[in-house]
Amino acid sequence: MVLAADRRSELMAEVRDHVDAALTEAGRSDEATVRNVLERLGPPEDIVAAEGGQPGTTLDAAPAPSGRAAGTVAGWGAVEVTAVALLCLAWPALFLPFGFFLFVAFGIIGLVLVWASRVWTTRRKLTATICVVALYALLIMLTTPVSMKCSTGGGPPEPCTPGGPSPIVNPTQ
Amino acid sequence: MPRMVAGETRDPTTELRRGVLEHCVLAVMRKKESYAYEIVRVLSDAGGLVTSEGTIYPLLSRLRRDGLVDTTWRESETGPPRRYYRLTSQGQRSLDAFVEDWARFRDAVDAVLAPRG
Repeated sequence: MVLAADRRSELMAEVRDHVDAALTEAGRSDEATVRNVLERLGPPEDIVAAEGGQPGTTLDAAPAPSGRAAGTVAGWGAVEVTAVALLCLAWPALFLPFGFFLFVAFGIIGLVLVWASRVWTTRRKLTATICVVALYALLIMLTTPVSMKCSTGGGPPEPCTPGGPSPIVNPTQ
Repeated sequence: MPRMVAGETRDPTTELRRGVLEHCVLAVMRKKESYAYEIVRVLSDAGGLVTSEGTIYPLLSRLRRDGLVDTTWRESETGPPRRYYRLTSQGQRSLDAFVEDWARFRDAVDAVLAPRG
């Protein structure tokens, strides 16, 4: 099971403090003592399993309505699914009326949702953001300057062909 | 339902421990607020009530979420600040109810286990 980022870092801090306190109590930190402390701590799987063992478990440290947990399965709740859907649909949306506007809007809303997620880790959010921004930047670079460069004075932007703009499209030349 | 690992035999003591652990944790903080490691120590010293010490943290987290305990951070001379746990009134009520239930349960089991004749 997946723990929310908040609870995961909180739990890790608690376990770390526990080990420190145990070693302080033992008065030494040689390998044998550390092993004993870790053994008393118990298997990590048991600790993580205990996190999810109760009905109405929310995976966040902060109090939240208990209905929330029911909607999140292995890191994919409504927020996350919507975010990914919007980000994927942004591309086909280009072909609709107002395509570019939809493309940008879906992208922005999708990213906002990604960062609003309480289940995804920061690392996953960063990865998603970098991928999205890179793909958007690539698309914009591939389309806009190419057509702009090849427009003759007063003519509409059009894709470049080798040798310059097609003479057929520019009867004024 | 307790989680079962394939091949693990059902040790009744493990299940008993699981059933009472939450209220034993509440009982430890009944007289004064305590920090997690202290609670673990008291429970171990009492007689091995905690086998996997790390599982106390999810339990405490749940008690917080359910409103049975409150926490405060306090400075400590021997290191980083500690989180101290204390009972809320709801936690106190839950503990009181358990103390009664446990007494009845314990007496019933003792009566059945006692040798006959």
